[in-house]
Amino acid sequence: MFRKIWLIALNTFRETVRDKLLYSLIIFAVLSIAASYLAGTVSLGQDVRVIENFGLTAMFVFLLIITIFIGTQLVYREIERRTIYLILPKPVNRETFYLGKFVGLCLTITVAGLIMGAMFIGLIYYKAHYIPTSAVWAILFTILEMWFLTAIGLMFSSFTSPIASAVYTFCLVLIGHSSSTIWYIIKKAPNNYVKYALDVVYYGFPNLEKFNLRNEVAFNVTLAPTQYLSSLTYLIIYMAALLFFGLAIFRRNEF
Amino acid sequence: MDWQSFAEMNSKKFALKRFPYALLGLIFLASVVPAQLWYDHWSRSERKPLDTTYNILIEPQPVSASTAKLVNFGFKEFLADYYWLSLIQYYGGGDPYGKYRKMPDLFNNIIELSPKYEAVYQTGLIIMPGEGYVDEAIDFGYKGMDNMPDKWEIPYYTGLVYHIYKKDYVSAAKMFERAAEMPNALPITKYFAGIYYNKADQRETAYNIFKTVYETTKDDYVKDRAKKNMDHLAIYFLLQDAVKYYHDNYKSYPSDLNQLVTKKVLKSIPEDPLTIGFTIDPNTGIVTENKK
Repeated sequence: MFRKIWLIALNTFRETVRDKLLYSLIIFAVLSIAASYLAGTVSLGQDVRVIENFGLTAMFVFLLIITIFIGTQLVYREIERRTIYLILPKPVNRETFYLGKFVGLCLTITVAGLIMGAMFIGLIYYKAHYIPTSAVWAILFTILEMWFLTAIGLMFSSFTSPIASAVYTFCLVLIGHSSSTIWYIIKKAPNNYVKYALDVVYYGFPNLEKFNLRNEVAFNVTLAPTQYLSSLTYLIIYMAALLFFGLAIFRRNEF
Repeated sequence: MDWQSFAEMNSKKFALKRFPYALLGLIFLASVVPAQLWYDHWSRSERKPLDTTYNILIEPQPVSASTAKLVNFGFKEFLADYYWLSLIQYYGGGDPYGKYRKMPDLFNNIIELSPKYEAVYQTGLIIMPGEGYVDEAIDFGYKGMDNMPDKWEIPYYTGLVYHIYKKDYVSAAKMFERAAEMPNALPITKYFAGIYYNKADQRETAYNIFKTVYETTKDDYVKDRAKKNMDHLAIYFLLQDAVKYYHDNYKSYPSDLNQLVTKKVLKSIPEDPLTIGFTIDPNTGIVTENKK
């Protein structure tokens, strides 16, 4: 089964890297990271900091676009073009197909993230002559966050249109990155009903701020190993849940 | 008539295949040059000064500090840098209203998003009071001291704001004392505290500070200055005591300090190591330092 998943993943990877959209997004991301160098020149001595923050933000935004726009179309396109009919009669079950698509897209995102990350680290090294450890962690966790969002996008795309999936995923990104705001509102909640409702939102929706280490890079702060581990555990558990939900929906789909 | 024959007829009529698109492209491209010249002429000679309604659009419009803190979707440091760059452009570009109305808001937004952004505190404490935002700068300094309690530069610059813009020497001295207690503070910081206590007529405190600086500093220059200030204040205390003695004996105050020597209260007026010198008010007997 794992071999089949890997074969579908490689096929998905090949399919996505042939997509012109991916190339153009990577080129724009690399240009945006390079442009952060220019922003740094007008920052009154804060150039390294500005390059770090602007570069990591550009990287996050472009990886998010790749994840949302390619991730939400992947399964839908197979159904739309009827190519799924060529695969499913073969000794490949739906679970293998679904997980293969997921792994393939994660592979694409990882490659795109590593290209952008290498460019970013190179720029920092050129400017500051050192490689901040916190930046390496931030890049890794940004890629992991994109894996997580791939699982979300894939789940949505198994039962709705790509546009709706993209919108839902994007809304979850906004909610997930507002967890500290939700926590703040919970503390100020006027009554228990509001508090409980917000508690559900806080604990139920993905807390993407756990994977956001970009704010620590400006001060080159690395977290305690247990914090990385707890974020990773959260990612694995939540992602597994999303994949199971996605599989449950995908299995019931009638093409 | 079907569509194909209609199209064929039209293609013969208009000869679209031979239409000189490239020539047209060249003509339009060439027209760009006079258009650019026209624009340049307008922008360099006829352009009216910017009106305020337009300036409202180019003036930064930061959201409130609390909104920036709550609604940032995890881009705190990025937004802090965005506001920082906006501030630099705003300050460097000149303000249409003659007063940088949005300057305190921009500074507060940056530190609300990034409370440990050290350069922002120093810059804010230097440029905000100069633009008329003295109280805002002092509040900003206190926020900095809360957010970065180990940075001596923040109370140091806040002390300068108290001194230069408020003439509040006691507060300035307290700020310098606070700065001096922090790690890596410049040796001269505590010396400045003494200077400001002296300016605020709190000479006993000033003397004690100079004494501590003299006994503890490893900086030769600061040690020398602290010693000279101690000697200067010692002369001041001596003159005060002599004037009191004079008043107790003659029931009046000396008309000038030399009278203390002529009436043999003092053998001589000691030479002031700071070369400032002292003077006396004959009506009140108050000894003051000469103005430089």
